[in-house]
Amino acid sequence: MIPELGLILLIISTVSSLLLAVIPLVALNTKNHYLFSYVKTLTGLMTFTITASILCLLISFITDDFSVAYVANHSNTQLALLYKVAAVWGSHEGSMLFWVVAIAIWGCIIVFSSKYRDRLFVGRLIAILASVIAGFNLFMLFTSNPFARLLPNFPIEGRDLNPILQDIGLIFHPPLLFLGYVGLTVTFAAAIAALLGGKLTRTHASYLRPWVLLAWVFLTGGNAFGSWWAYNELGWGGWWFWDPVENASFIPWLVATALLHSVVLSHRRDSFKVTTLLLCLLAFSLSLLGTFLVRSGIVQSVHAFASDPTRGMSILFLLGVFVCGALTLFALKANQIKSELNFTLVSRDGVILLGNIVLVVAAISVLLGTFYPLLFELLDIGTLSVGAPYFNSIFIPLTFMAVLLMGAAPLISWQREKFSALRPLIVLFIISLAIAEALSMLTGSGFNIWLLLGATSATWLLLCLGYLLFRLRHQGIEGLAKKSAMVIAHLGVAISIIGATSVSNFEQQELLRMGPAQGKVVAGYTFVYENTINVDEKSYTAIQANIRVTDANDNFIGYITPQRQTFKTNAMEVSKAGIMRNIFRDLYVSSGLQLSDTEYLIRISYKPLACWIWLGGLLMMLGGTIAALSGIYRLRVHQTVTSNSKPLNITMGELA
Amino acid sequence: MRTLILIILLSLSPSTMAATPMTGGITYTQDQIRDIGFEISYELRCPMSINQNLFDSQAPIANELKAQIFLMLEQGESKKAIIEFLVQRYGEKIKYQPSFSATTAMLWLGPLFLLLTIIAIAAMLIREQHKHQRTNGNSYE
Repeated sequence: MIPELGLILLIISTVSSLLLAVIPLVALNTKNHYLFSYVKTLTGLMTFTITASILCLLISFITDDFSVAYVANHSNTQLALLYKVAAVWGSHEGSMLFWVVAIAIWGCIIVFSSKYRDRLFVGRLIAILASVIAGFNLFMLFTSNPFARLLPNFPIEGRDLNPILQDIGLIFHPPLLFLGYVGLTVTFAAAIAALLGGKLTRTHASYLRPWVLLAWVFLTGGNAFGSWWAYNELGWGGWWFWDPVENASFIPWLVATALLHSVVLSHRRDSFKVTTLLLCLLAFSLSLLGTFLVRSGIVQSVHAFASDPTRGMSILFLLGVFVCGALTLFALKANQIKSELNFTLVSRDGVILLGNIVLVVAAISVLLGTFYPLLFELLDIGTLSVGAPYFNSIFIPLTFMAVLLMGAAPLISWQREKFSALRPLIVLFIISLAIAEALSMLTGSGFNIWLLLGATSATWLLLCLGYLLFRLRHQGIEGLAKKSAMVIAHLGVAISIIGATSVSNFEQQELLRMGPAQGKVVAGYTFVYENTINVDEKSYTAIQANIRVTDANDNFIGYITPQRQTFKTNAMEVSKAGIMRNIFRDLYVSSGLQLSDTEYLIRISYKPLACWIWLGGLLMMLGGTIAALSGIYRLRVHQTVTSNSKPLNITMGELA
Repeated sequence: MRTLILIILLSLSPSTMAATPMTGGITYTQDQIRDIGFEISYELRCPMSINQNLFDSQAPIANELKAQIFLMLEQGESKKAIIEFLVQRYGEKIKYQPSFSATTAMLWLGPLFLLLTIIAIAAMLIREQHKHQRTNGNSYE
């Protein structure tokens, strides 16, 4: 009964979203105040039903209702409760439902919050959101119904959740990424609402700003967590492999980063309005394109777990409708939205603009590299692979440019800057070049352009941030607090770059056969293979190697225990690396092929500063969260100041 | 066969090195062989797996190819020669870094072209606006 209820609720929410997609726009066109008053009711109904619907799916998972195909295919009575919950978004149908629910809830908060006074804007926004929800709901109902049943011969035991997904990663990584996409959907709807209204005021930008920041925080988390997960899993190419699926979530992040800087300018300086709107449309389109790429299975990836070519067409259709519609509207209305470009390129506005251009170019380049093999095959020219070496050689120089601009931007003034004021920056740059050069000499790596670019950009960014704090020293706590979000987030970027540069250039690695009582010294650490044991866990059995590690002074520092796991439900084999972490280095051991009765192919790596990559990600998220919350807070303060002068309810005059 | 090659590969030591015929003419140290061998296996795609480099892949063919790479390095072949040899055997697709040609020109030059074009457009728009403001007399200064 529960699954039927879920399906009916899904249908009700589809109908209400279809109504909600039309009613606000009709009401605004015909100036029908009465009709407009239905917006809240419909939003509430749509959100309530879709949320109740996903709860029905959750109940089906928890109660092991294997008559539901989705549950039978992705769960099992042996599965831990936590993974039964996570399995809701573990595959295609459920993740679509999760996405739609999150859009509805986010939209509902906006509609019911008293902070957003421009009701016309909110009305248009919710209409667009509802049309996106309607699109995805219809897609679910017709091609990927999460409540489809296996009646009457339903299985008594489910297949398992893909063993490789039974990891803490599944609990955080997909929801964070989906919430990021949801945030981009909301900003897309806001951009369309602004275009429909023919203006993007500073009030609109003040609404948009925290939404963009939240979307960006979620996307940052999703990408960082995904990278951390891949690092722990053997055969996923390490912390970053430029795999198409990784790119699919990284491209929207790059555009969202540009968008967030653009929207801050739109809010503070009333400029870059067209850029902000265009980036909103671009970010959403690219996130949909990424979804299409991942879900259709047209690219080869180690991370694709829910691909099916038949779904590809439906996503492509939705993509086509939304993107074409949005771009047409943009072409028609963009010229009404004017903002002054009253600055020179040598100014904070100009530098941020250049930075955004670099970010967008980086995003499009990654997109180009991801699609190139497909294009090649479609045009029948032949086959080729575009992978990490290509992306690194394009992306690292672009990152270097972006970081140069990023360090400089907070240190130069708005509108226009005298060239003489750039002198300290030039000095800082020369110092960072010298430090980077000294570093590569000291480590004896010779001339290595990648190391030089990485080290220079990290040093430059740190020096610039230090200099900024030095200049702010007289401004007290308040001056510091205003900059804190930016400083923390930029510091995060520097930390991530340090981690990435260090791991890429100073990793030490050995690949060797090892069995009991054999040892190897890597980077001063001694690894001794003590014994092999069999481990029996609830869902898998494993062959575990116990490797004793001592440091350069012969002090025992612990055991590393890489496993080769075999899952009981489907005999699938997975290799889990053993990692010993601290802030300065990770010691990483994985166990591969069995070479003889007692010996295995063992890979030992010393990865200096590896965890800085994700530490930087956390700092970026922290900075973004501070900025988003202060944006929402300011919204409230601003409203209480002006609330005396404006009536709460919209009047017919306003509707006109 | 696969394990055999691996055993050969992993038991390679300076004493066995003397036995392998030198054809390429470069003499590497053992550390260089390891580093260059890893480097090459990072840049090549496993022909069997979905999207993994030779280094990461556990497929039998990947191990054979890794052994092949190390064997050729022992024989004194250069990195370039080894990659060319493998491309001849397995096609362009094995390389993660496509070589520059007429068909990949857009891939390699596209980003630079795009960057310059957008910056040029932005600079032009800003200059135009300045001119416009000046003629209207409401300069920003």
